[in-house]
Amino acid sequence: MLPNMASALHAGPTVSSEPLPLLELRGVTKRFLGVQALDKVDFDLRPGEVHALFGENGAGKSTIINIICGTFPADEGRYCFAGHEIVFRDARQARTMGVSPVFQDFSLIPELTVEQNLFLGREVVRGGLLDRRTMRTRASKIIADLGFELDPKAKVETLSRSHQQMVEITKALLTDLKVLVLDEPTASLTEAETRRLFELVSQLRASGVGIIYVSHRMAEIRRLADRITVLRDGRRIATVKADEVDDNELVQLMTGRPVGVLYPVICHRPAAATLEVRDLSLRNGAVREAAVTAHAGEITGIAGLVGCGKSELVRAIYGLEAIHRGEIRLDGALFHRPTPGAALKRGVCYFPSDRVAEGLALDRPIRENASMAALDLPTFSRAGFLRRASERRTVQALMERLNLRPVQIEPPVGRLSGGNRQKVVLARGIPRDTRIFLFDEPTVGIDVGAKVEVYEVMQHLLAEGMAIVLVSSDLAEVLALSNRLYVMHRARVVAELTGADINEATVLSHFFPGEAPPSGNAQPEAAQ
Amino acid sequence: MISTLLVPALIVVMLLGFSLYVPRILFPRNLMNLIVQTSYLAVFATAQTLVLVTRGFDLSLGASVSMVSVIAALVMVTVAGGVGEPVVYAVVLGVIAALAAGALVGLFNGAVSAGFAVNPFIITLGSLNICYGIASTISGGRPVFNVPTVFSSVFYDGRVLNIPAPILIAGGACLGAHLLLDRTVLGRSLYLIGGNPRAAAVAGIPVKRRLVFAYVLASTLSALGSLLLTARTGSGEPALGGNLLLQSIAAAVIGGVSLRGGVGTVRHAILGALFITILSNGMNLSRVGGYVQEIALGVCVVIAVFLDVLLSRQRRAG
Amino acid sequence: MIRNSTWAPSRPERAFRIGVGEAGLLPIMVSLLIAVLVIFEPRFATVQNAINILRNASFLMIVAVGQMLVMIVGGLDMSIGATMALTSVASVLVMTAVAGALPDAPNLAILTGIAAGLGCGLAVGVINGLCVALMRVPPFMVTLGMASVVGGVALMLTSGVPVYGLPQPFIDEVGRALWLGLPTAFYVALAIVVGLALGLRFTRPGVRTLAVGGNRQAAAVSGVPTGVYLLGAYVACSLLAAVASLLLTAQIGSGQGAIGDQLTLESIAAAVIAGVSLRGGAGRPELVALGAIFLLVLTNAMDLMQVDSKIQSIWLGAFVVLAVVLEALGRGVSRRG
Repeated sequence: MLPNMASALHAGPTVSSEPLPLLELRGVTKRFLGVQALDKVDFDLRPGEVHALFGENGAGKSTIINIICGTFPADEGRYCFAGHEIVFRDARQARTMGVSPVFQDFSLIPELTVEQNLFLGREVVRGGLLDRRTMRTRASKIIADLGFELDPKAKVETLSRSHQQMVEITKALLTDLKVLVLDEPTASLTEAETRRLFELVSQLRASGVGIIYVSHRMAEIRRLADRITVLRDGRRIATVKADEVDDNELVQLMTGRPVGVLYPVICHRPAAATLEVRDLSLRNGAVREAAVTAHAGEITGIAGLVGCGKSELVRAIYGLEAIHRGEIRLDGALFHRPTPGAALKRGVCYFPSDRVAEGLALDRPIRENASMAALDLPTFSRAGFLRRASERRTVQALMERLNLRPVQIEPPVGRLSGGNRQKVVLARGIPRDTRIFLFDEPTVGIDVGAKVEVYEVMQHLLAEGMAIVLVSSDLAEVLALSNRLYVMHRARVVAELTGADINEATVLSHFFPGEAPPSGNAQPEAAQ
Repeated sequence: MISTLLVPALIVVMLLGFSLYVPRILFPRNLMNLIVQTSYLAVFATAQTLVLVTRGFDLSLGASVSMVSVIAALVMVTVAGGVGEPVVYAVVLGVIAALAAGALVGLFNGAVSAGFAVNPFIITLGSLNICYGIASTISGGRPVFNVPTVFSSVFYDGRVLNIPAPILIAGGACLGAHLLLDRTVLGRSLYLIGGNPRAAAVAGIPVKRRLVFAYVLASTLSALGSLLLTARTGSGEPALGGNLLLQSIAAAVIGGVSLRGGVGTVRHAILGALFITILSNGMNLSRVGGYVQEIALGVCVVIAVFLDVLLSRQRRAG
Repeated sequence: MIRNSTWAPSRPERAFRIGVGEAGLLPIMVSLLIAVLVIFEPRFATVQNAINILRNASFLMIVAVGQMLVMIVGGLDMSIGATMALTSVASVLVMTAVAGALPDAPNLAILTGIAAGLGCGLAVGVINGLCVALMRVPPFMVTLGMASVVGGVALMLTSGVPVYGLPQPFIDEVGRALWLGLPTAFYVALAIVVGLALGLRFTRPGVRTLAVGGNRQAAAVSGVPTGVYLLGAYVACSLLAAVASLLLTAQIGSGQGAIGDQLTLESIAAAVIAGVSLRGGAGRPELVALGAIFLLVLTNAMDLMQVDSKIQSIWLGAFVVLAVVLEALGRGVSRRG
């Protein structure tokens, strides 16, 4: 039993008719230095409800949940919590009152242990000293109650991201929780962990906790949400019941544009093999004896569960991982000791999954970020000297082609939304004579509208005869786009699929080799 | 934008303020003196800027200046005294030795901090001590006299078109650094490295090589500054570096170079150098004591750092 | 944050980590160094020499754990040396003044002088702490500026000349007394190190200080008053510097305007050698004390070999670099696992 669960032994229907909302926002407006982040938004959350927030990047989702969690107050409008109008002084006060967020960057102290993190701010003290035994006991108990596998003595920095998230959630549950905000919680969870999370969400609902669920993944929202609020450009467009709206309608509400099909039909024209990897093993063991081949004119997908090594595989090709053994051939020629600089010169371009950490210098102008990987090209420099006018023209044209809105290249790239930032990253590969494009989780954290534009870029590249390798944890995406699909499991390539074999069942069977594929709501023990 | 006008405005205000108290600060002779003094500090501030822009620090500036001064003087004295060759030969060798020593310090700083991925702060702190130790040891703690006078007459008293040599040399060096940072691929890569070192690496920029270059250039530049200062005193001074570390950082930061990296130009460094020099000159003319001046410098650093934080916030949000 | 580690470290790497353990390489290095010296330098292994080392190490230990506190919260205090100078000068001036005015109450003079000295430490620490906590300025720069300011004040007060007139009882009882053969300073240092070691591990302020250093925002959101802890770390550091300065002044017998010049760097060196990370969030006072001892043993060895003090600077510098490089290499090994 969760500590704050009412003794609800039977998880009954979640919402009775017209209960008093847990929280209510009316006419909330927020401006940041001239940018209207929220414009008279209404929102309410009922007890025991999962209310999803859906919208493009920049639509206002972060702003709204930050206001709800007390990070900053609204400029206008009313915020009623448990029936009383309130303005939270800070996030801490909100937490004490029962509103806890689980954001994408966790509020944990890496150097401290799990139990120290759980009790931070409410340490148990006896006689002036920390009562470690009591804290250990309580921590172990609640972790066990939640069914998590966590060692209270472990330092948080040694935990995987999904385990850290579990700590974060446990921490939220230690308070007298009334409202839980989950911001893209499944981004780096495995299938099994995602299932566990959903179970937890059900338990919380049953005990009357209200949950605000922010996600781009429509499948999840479908499964969990009672109501969905769609935001666009800071305005609330609609609040609908989840079972009364379909995918296309949702996307249309979100983008304001009719969107035909989410995944375009790709015209593959496979030609010669341009990239061949044989027997590749990395020094840290993340990839073992992998072999893949990518052809010009087609998209070669690599699918697998989180942690299977697919990202490391393409990173190694580009020179970002230490190779222990194996060979890489580009157009038949051996590519020895890859480094990013050498890879770029040989026509290989890599788009990192973590844009902020590895892709962009946020304080530098868009123009500099776009040209970063191509400064040695004649269009950008001559004899070591920059050709700034030429750079301006080229990048301007490039960003127009990629539909950067608004097309300004001087502001720092940090001001752009996720989708636009991805366009700047993509701009890199284009000026160069790149023939092999390595996409590493290209559509994570960007909205549906921008995703479509990324797919369009891929189509153009294919039409020009380039080779694309697509690494993605989004099964639907990689199934729809690949002409040739590799599946990886625990550092090894376990399958190469073409044609009709590229379907969900076959791929999933390779995700869990040796076990029956999961079906519907059955819960097999997941490989990790 | 506030920041581009703030420092020049402050400079003007300061000059006028001092002139009310000691009018001779505005006399042409003093103004010329001011510009010459600024040239020295401008070189050091520029050197520090090269490194600050990459998110690094060069704490060895100052101690390396002392060391280079002593080395240059010793080489010149030894070669001139012993060999019987023309004195010019000794001076040339001394200059080469000085620049080489500077480059070596930079090589150490850059190679170790970039090569082992260690915070350059600690590494340059270590090389500060090493330089200081070398300077005191080989000089025996005393100035090195009998430096050939032709050295001073060229590098200090020399004039071209009636412009003093220090201004020309420092100006040339700063101009070169400016062109590098502003107009070359290498300079651009330094800003990108300072902005996000990992992203720069993923974009194919040879980060370690460029960092080493930045440190080598910075130290060589400060070796040049050391030569200019040595020419002024006419002897190798083991304490020449004195307050230079603090002054170079203060000048750079006051001028607008960000301690966070990725932002800052040579123009900022020169402005900051001008500010500090005028402050110092004004205090000298007003007969403010040496210790008080040190306090004033400290206060300036603190204020500059405050401003940097405020401006950074504005930059990110605006 | 570390990514998912589904692959186990290889055997040599695991062995390295177990062997080195949480304490790092330092205890091994210290033991090795002492062993080498005992074998090769007979003058090293005398009781008198050991006492000398411990006495000198005491001062460094005190300031080094102070520096460690600041490093734990993610900062650096470059004003330690200057604070020590100011404390030394101010305390002696006050003691001399009070002793002159009330010659029959030397203890009063001593106490007021100590209070003045500690007051200096408090003032500097508060200013440093407020700047860092409230204004979020980079600690290194602010403390560097303060070093100039405070150092200038100290020199101004003395015009660069040592200040004499310390009451004799202060020198005798505090500075040069021996208790069980060991100087007062040593016991003070011991108490401080043990107190901090226990405090960091077993008290609430201890774990909260570590939290503030590890992730300030997370700590704030969990209800820890981070500003208070930041301020506290800087105040503690400057107070400890003041304490060390008082002990050192008592030993020397006069107020020095340049006391502690080297000690700033040495305090950083001792902390870094002890594995305290510049990024904050972790620090073991007992290891820092060991680091101080290591540095002093090294200095002592160089003194015995009659290495010039100026050359010692070179070794100190080279040493700090080596220590940090080794730590980075060690981190690289464990990261690959």
